[in-house]
Amino acid sequence: MAGLVYRTGFIFTILGNMVYIVVSYFLWRSIYQNLTTIHGLTFNDTFIYVALGSAIFILLKTYADWGIGYEIREGMIAVYLTKPVDYEFYSLFSSLGGMLTNLAAISFPTIVLLIMVFRVSFSIGPGLFLFPFSLLIAFLISFFFDYMIGIMAFYTESIWGLSITKEIIISVLSGVLIPLQYYPLAIQKILFVLPFQAIYYSPLMMITRPNQGWETLLSMLFVQLLWAVILFTLSRVLYHQAVKVLRISGG
Amino acid sequence: MLTLGEYLRLYFIIEAQYIKARMQYRADFMISSIGMFFSSLATLGIFWVLFNSIPSLAGWSFIEMVFIYAFYMIAISPMQILFDHIWQIRFEVQQGTFLKYYFRPLNMMFYYMSEMFDIKGLTQLAAGIILLIYASVQLGIHWSPIRIGLLLITLFGAALVLISITVTAGCAAFWITNAYPVLGLAWKLREFAPYPMSIYDGAFRFAFTYILPIGFIAYYPAQVFLRPEQISPLVYLSPFVGVALFLLTYWVWTKGVNSYSGTGS
Amino acid sequence: MGYAYGSRPDTLGITRSEIRPMSIIHIQDLSKHFKVLNRRQGLSGSLRDLFSGDYRLVKAVDGISYDIEPGEMVGYIGPNGAGKSTTIKMMTGILKPTSGTILVNGQPPYANRIHQARIMGVVFGQRTQLWWDLPVIESFKILKDIYKVDQKTFNEHMQLFNDLVGLQALYSQQVRTLSLGQRMLCDISASFLHNPRVVFLDEPTIGLDVSVKAKIRSVIQELNRTRNTTILLTTHDLGDVEALCQRIIILDRGRVLYDGGIKKVNALFGAYRILKVQIDNYSPTVQISLREKLAQRFGPGTNITVAESEESWTDVTIDQARTPLSDILSLVMSSFSVSDVRIVEISMETVVRKIYDGALL
Repeated sequence: MAGLVYRTGFIFTILGNMVYIVVSYFLWRSIYQNLTTIHGLTFNDTFIYVALGSAIFILLKTYADWGIGYEIREGMIAVYLTKPVDYEFYSLFSSLGGMLTNLAAISFPTIVLLIMVFRVSFSIGPGLFLFPFSLLIAFLISFFFDYMIGIMAFYTESIWGLSITKEIIISVLSGVLIPLQYYPLAIQKILFVLPFQAIYYSPLMMITRPNQGWETLLSMLFVQLLWAVILFTLSRVLYHQAVKVLRISGG
Repeated sequence: MLTLGEYLRLYFIIEAQYIKARMQYRADFMISSIGMFFSSLATLGIFWVLFNSIPSLAGWSFIEMVFIYAFYMIAISPMQILFDHIWQIRFEVQQGTFLKYYFRPLNMMFYYMSEMFDIKGLTQLAAGIILLIYASVQLGIHWSPIRIGLLLITLFGAALVLISITVTAGCAAFWITNAYPVLGLAWKLREFAPYPMSIYDGAFRFAFTYILPIGFIAYYPAQVFLRPEQISPLVYLSPFVGVALFLLTYWVWTKGVNSYSGTGS
Repeated sequence: MGYAYGSRPDTLGITRSEIRPMSIIHIQDLSKHFKVLNRRQGLSGSLRDLFSGDYRLVKAVDGISYDIEPGEMVGYIGPNGAGKSTTIKMMTGILKPTSGTILVNGQPPYANRIHQARIMGVVFGQRTQLWWDLPVIESFKILKDIYKVDQKTFNEHMQLFNDLVGLQALYSQQVRTLSLGQRMLCDISASFLHNPRVVFLDEPTIGLDVSVKAKIRSVIQELNRTRNTTILLTTHDLGDVEALCQRIIILDRGRVLYDGGIKKVNALFGAYRILKVQIDNYSPTVQISLREKLAQRFGPGTNITVAESEESWTDVTIDQARTPLSDILSLVMSSFSVSDVRIVEISMETVVRKIYDGALL
């Protein structure tokens, strides 16, 4: 399933992203009116974080949940299950293809906008090098979540409700809308134990603060990897369970 | 020709049947209502997090933001309840099933509207009302009958503003093949409606007031109750903005409907 | 001396070609032209499309004229792209004509859509106009309110529908649970509920099996007979036309190709069949050889054509009135090694092509 929304429509997606960045600019500028740093982050830091958060959010949208939901409804899933290629990997590579196409089309105008219009300053550091890997793992985690939602839709026949709940949980708990440093300490502690920060907070901090030192950065990457493995395992379990049910009920 | 009374009666009959039929999907209804409830409060949650670190945003306190947000939630509910299927209009247009709206002796927008009554939107409405009451109490706002009347009028106008923006975006389906992102853009814009207009500079404030008037969905009308002494009289015109925009939307709809000819020959 | 009715303008400056009672559908020199964008490739192309003036003119309907009288059941046929849907859309007030006259029940449809909708019924083959999630009876009740059908008429009609199609048994079923055949019967019934003066049926039997088709045809016929409703039947199924229509109008590329009784067309094409054979070791020489053999055996003037159709199949089109199918079949099978045989009706496109080539002249 192509992540790229083709031709004339695509302009609107990019436009939407730009509006978000502009609004964020004004919002955070207002917040930082008389302050240099909040929770250790400067306006420049936070603005980069939020703006790139929006770009990455679009990138990581896999629609795997809707894709599976659709195919289950149409009964096509039975076809895929009989093929030798594993359905999950098939779905993953389709989504990955879409993501890579979007990468150039979305991130490029965003970066240009940030540098040329808003004159942000990007720091250089090892974080920038690790960022692509971080993003890739984040993509995987996001994909596994979407995939599992899609499978659960198979049982509940309600794709919209589950999908929106997932999206809200991730938006609020992952730090894509606001850096996690802003959350009350007690809540922060919980959030850092959950997988959601591995999707957005980790990669975004790598690019916002690339100078944190190899140890910090690599441990962030490691935690991401760990979650990716856990969620992958979970998704396999759910997948096999669903296949069993599907085979019994006749598809 | 049907009179307004007859249209209303017909509307009630159709929606009663529609709701009865939809209620059969129990699980979906429950999950969707819960999902809607949380989605409404998510942004508020983010604001709460934010206000943990700053005392005020562009001159507004947290509880005032809650009021604006509650107003926003109520104002967007009619759009949700009546036009939630606008997201599917592009499929109907592309597949030709949209033609059925031409064949009945009914106003086409009425017929189109009658096909949807999103019950889960009522959850959002209820949550908004509760939140508004809570915020009013905290802010010590006194609700005289006149004020309540004013509230209803401003909500009505605000609802029309959102409906107009979204339905106009949906009408893009009549002319563009992949019109989904236009609606996506309209959706994104409406998400910014609860943000204070005071954060923007001249050009953007102008844009969000006069060109894509999302300011009239919640911020400007809410001022009538939050800062009545500080606002210019123009703010009291907000209901008329809604009506004017809706007339414009109806014009776009009519143009779209007249230019559409279905598939095939 | 007074003037006879010719094309002499009378004192009001109106030309009458002849005095006639008002026909229910009156179409004269009707045309509908579309401007179609010559689409360009790529993203930059789409952007330029928004501003371009590079159109070509598509003449979907190009000067057609006919009158349909009340109570007639007319078959409206032609290949895809002939302009049938476009004409119907003009009759139902969806499209505005580019030029010419169109009157339905004496009124131009486009300016009066809502008003005209009261006297029309429409059934579109593949898409229901009933309410998908509601029980069948509720759809009818809603229609009763929309069309302001009085209780007595409503009861009469529901009784009629029950007699004809057993509608009562379906009352409580949701429309989306009905089979295609049941849904079609409901849609057709619903289109007659408000006593329309004219009903447009578009592909009413498409996708249905033979027994259901027969049922639908008899229902349509009965409704036409009892209600004296004018029916315009658009279809690709010649069986529909044969069973129901006295008159057919054949449209091709926006023009009326034929407008007249069905007997003539039926006499010419009713007996046509296509014999599809799958010949082993097929090659172009086989086709030539087959042609020669057929010409040799049956003579040149027999209207037999041979053509290659889908992969490895050969189509032999024959006129059974002139040459019996069995003779042809035995010739083919004795001359070649045949692995499979199918016999199908002649297609609409072939009929139209033959008429276009002057078969009816």
